[in-house]
This record gives sequence, C-alpha cells and structure tokens, in this order.
Amino acid sequence: MRPFLEKVAAETREYVQALLDENQRLSNLVAELDNRNREFTERYVEIEQQNTNLANLYVASYQLNGTLERDRVVAAIQEIVINLIGSEELAIWQIEEELDALTLIGSFGINAREWAGIPLGSGIVGHVAYSGERYVVTESDAKPFGREQHLTACIPLKLDEKVIGVIGIFRLLQQKQGLEPVDFELFDLLCSHAATALYCTKEAVQ
Amino acid sequence: MRKKVLLVDDSATVLMMEKMLLAKGPYQIVTARDGREAIEKAKSEQPDIVLLDVVMPNLDGLSACAAIRTQPETAHIPIIMVTTRGEESNVETAFRNGCTDYVTKPINGIELLTKLANILGLGGAA
Repeated sequence: MRPFLEKVAAETREYVQALLDENQRLSNLVAELDNRNREFTERYVEIEQQNTNLANLYVASYQLNGTLERDRVVAAIQEIVINLIGSEELAIWQIEEELDALTLIGSFGINAREWAGIPLGSGIVGHVAYSGERYVVTESDAKPFGREQHLTACIPLKLDEKVIGVIGIFRLLQQKQGLEPVDFELFDLLCSHAATALYCTKEAVQ
Repeated sequence: MRKKVLLVDDSATVLMMEKMLLAKGPYQIVTARDGREAIEKAKSEQPDIVLLDVVMPNLDGLSACAAIRTQPETAHIPIIMVTTRGEESNVETAFRNGCTDYVTKPINGIELLTKLANILGLGGAA
C-alpha cells in the first residue's frame, strides 16, 4: 500500500509542479504582451504626434503660399501664430530701408499704436531685424524688459540672408505650457516662407 | 460606417488642420465659417458631431452651441468646443451652454481623435 501511496504522491507533486511551471510561463507571456502593448501605445502616440506636427507644417506652408494678396498673407501669418503656435499677442513688421526702421503691417492682441515703428537695432525686436538672428526667450541670456517684457519669440523674415521683416510673438495662450519642438520648426518655416510670401505680394503689386 | 462631422471655424488654417487630422478616419466632413451657418448646417446636414470654435463673426460658438442644443431637431448632436480660450470660466460657460466636451488650441491631434472616437463610440482613436 505504502509504495502505491508514495507513487501517487510523487505523481501529484509532479503534476502540481507542471501546473506551477505552466502558470509561470503564462505570467511571463502576459508580462511580455503588456510590455509590447505599452511599446505599441507609445509608438502610436509618437506617430500621431508626428502626424500632427507634419499637418501643422503643411497647413502653415499651404496658407502662406496660397495667395498673392498682402492682407491675406498677413492674415495667414496671424492665423498660424494664433492657432498653430498658440499666442494671441503678436506683431508683424516690415523693414523700411529708407527709414532704417521697422513699420507694423499687422498685429493681434497688442496696442498697435505703441508698436507702430521701431528703429533698427533698438530693443530685442530691432536687434533681430538688424542681426537676422532669431530670438527665443528660453534660448537667450538676454531677458526682455520694459514694453518687450512679454516677448516669447522674435523671428526674422529672411529672403536668402536679407531680413525684410520681423514677427514678434508675445505671451502664449494660458493653456500652452511652453514652446515645443514643432514650434521651432514653425519658426523656421515662417522665417523663409512668410518672407517669400510677403515679397511676392509686393512684386505682384508692382 | 462613416460619421458626419461638422467643422465650424472662421479660420481657414484651423479648418484645413482639422480636415487633415480627420482625413484618415471614418469621417465625412462638412464645414461652416460662423455660428449662424453652423446652426443651419446642423439642421440641414444632421451631422453625428460638431467641432465648434468659440470666437467667430456673426454668431459666436457659445451662442451657436446653446442654439443647437435648444432646437429639437439638433438637440441630440454632440458638440466639442475647439478654442483658444482655455480659461476655466470659458470652459464652465461652454458646458453650461450644452457642449459635450472641450478641446483647446493649438489642437493636439491625439486628444481630438480620441475624444471624437469616444463620443461617437468608435472604440479607439480612429
């Protein structure tokens, strides 16, 4: 009787161990699937973000190059800054070479009279127009002050290397925590495409 | 089954952006450029959902939202406000006027697609 019971006990132990092993194997499989699921989700979010960024850039470029009317180009620049970058305080100036100054050609959410004209080289905006170097508050040691205290970014509008105007972006929308990588790509796009679009409107008029 | 989405915004930039984001999903797009047109299109087109801007000419989005909610033939249509106005008071006003959800600009593609899919019962960010 005893050898029989020992045999049954041994077989039972073996069976239980097999079940435990199977349980462990399945747990590992579930953990692996969880990891892969997480990776796929992260990848999906990343790809969707890239899609949104590309859509932003495409839309911005399309809107800027879709017209030869100056007012519509200015409106397109405003819409890009408001809706794609996320600021409702902006100004667009063009350089008047004979005056050595910037004159305001479009604005939103700021006191237009206060910003109507800026001598080249004066303040951050004037310096950007003079130097052709982009200013972004988070990239610069020079912190804006006075009437420029809310300046977030200042983008030169350049044809080849010649500056023909400047876009000033002041406070970002409340819900926007800060500038994102796509914003810097939009700055680059505005720098060249907005300049070209504005130049073409001038040519079309002439 | 494609869902009909009414996009309402006075900005061509935003309409184009929204169209691009929704292009790969099962959506049929209809557009309107102000609040008044939005109310008319909501009635005539009977969309499955409306994406509604707030600051618009003729009639603002909050008033349009309230009007769509109070008319029997459009009262059932879900409305997502899509706006630059992220302040709490604006969000509260929008929900008081009957919006279903609220998205702020600049538009986050994943957020918008997920909310659309959830409200329309598409079971994922379509």
